[in-house]
Amino acid sequence: MDAAEAAAVLARARQGDSDAFRALVERHSRTVFRLAFRMTGNEQDAEDVVQESFLRAYRQLGRFESRANFGTWLYRIVANCSVDLMRAKQARHDQARGEPLETAADMPAADTPDPQRLAESAEISRRVQHALGALSPLERAAFTLRHYEGRSIDEIGRTLGLGTSAAKHSVFRAVKKLRHALQPLRSLANRGLAPQESQR
Amino acid sequence: MSHYGEGDLILYYYGEGRRRHDIERHLDACPACAATYRDISSTLAMVDVPAVPERGDQYGLEVWQRIRHRLPEPQQDVWSKHSAGPGRAAWTELATWWRRLVERTFRADRLAILAAAATIAIVAFVAGRFWSTPSKPAATITATQAPDGGSLPGLRQRILIGSVADHLDRSERMLTDIMNASVPGDISAEQRWAEDLLTTSRLYRQDAVDIGERSVANVLDDLERSLIEIVHSPSQVTAADLDAMRRRIDAAALLFKVRVMSNELQEREGTRSAGDASPRTSTRKTS
Ligand SMILES: [Zn+2]
Repeated sequence: MDAAEAAAVLARARQGDSDAFRALVERHSRTVFRLAFRMTGNEQDAEDVVQESFLRAYRQLGRFESRANFGTWLYRIVANCSVDLMRAKQARHDQARGEPLETAADMPAADTPDPQRLAESAEISRRVQHALGALSPLERAAFTLRHYEGRSIDEIGRTLGLGTSAAKHSVFRAVKKLRHALQPLRSLANRGLAPQESQR
Repeated sequence: MSHYGEGDLILYYYGEGRRRHDIERHLDACPACAATYRDISSTLAMVDVPAVPERGDQYGLEVWQRIRHRLPEPQQDVWSKHSAGPGRAAWTELATWWRRLVERTFRADRLAILAAAATIAIVAFVAGRFWSTPSKPAATITATQAPDGGSLPGLRQRILIGSVADHLDRSERMLTDIMNASVPGDISAEQRWAEDLLTTSRLYRQDAVDIGERSVANVLDDLERSLIEIVHSPSQVTAADLDAMRRRIDAAALLFKVRVMSNELQEREGTRSAGDASPRTSTRKTS
């Protein structure tokens, strides 16, 4: 699909042509799934986000500025749908337990890990996933966009509808919590392995 | 020698932020900052990009099959349903949504008092939406003031409707965040968010007043009161702080009002887009 063709499909979709919208769904589903998976960290939630994002996009097509890039617009919808889903899950979780989700401070990662199990990267990855799971939905979203998606703080702010300062502090808080949660892993890694080279 | 904060070093790690050259030199000279930076970078190095499960070529089609029956009718004119008929279904749906929200947030023993206060707020608000006519459908205003749809008042209103709808969506998410915040906790990110929203809200409210969208201005005014309260509360909230904040939000039925107004504006915008789309379709058919 070239740019002119894509514009024509979009114009038809905006007028309620469901075949045109179907072409957009087919074209963008895999990209949407990738982002949704990174944002939510699990397959089932990602599938829910994919469906909800396209439904939301369909309802909001009238608000899409035809000069804007459809991919960018959809990206924003997917990111926000993911945040909404994580919030809803957290609320259900809180209701079920009658207390908030565990915070970084009381995560099992703060225990001293068994060095042998640590050697397995699966264990590291499990602990990282656990630490990510303990972030607030907003922190997790901002962190995912920065760390996995390589988005700048400004872009994160625009994507999530936050100010730059809120976006920045969400990333900072996420990193702070991860540092705390992964501290035991890190000190072991530092003892056992050569110091990690910094990324830049 | 003054040191760099964790935030500066995080931005540096990601290749962002100013004074990068200064930071680089400082890290070479300062063992304390270098240690913090090593700690940050080794933490972040542990967080690998996850492998995304494969989705085949047919995936797009599968997604389509799953959602096609759930697509709403195109360009539903819910606005005229609200203003012309009783629109009970839409209100009932909203009332149910709101009740669930309150029930989820508050325990049963406190529900009665809250529900009473909020019911008064809702009744007043709903009555206002039905019996006052400040928000004429956009099409009426365009027809009387701007036959070409492009004159300044029409254009201004159109921009405002879209922007305020987005603004209300964002505000709703922020408020929901506060309603769901865990205690004791740090709400500083939400406070910064609220601060941004507050600045925007004031601008939109002034615009709404200028072009006679009084009901929009009223909802924005209510919203601002809660935003101010959030901005000025302590960042480290106790259960009591948060509870007081939630009670006030609920007693004013703020989430309900924001949701209703956001829906209304989106529908007015949809009506407008449908109106815009039809002449283009007919032009294409005749050419
Ligand atoms: Zn230093």
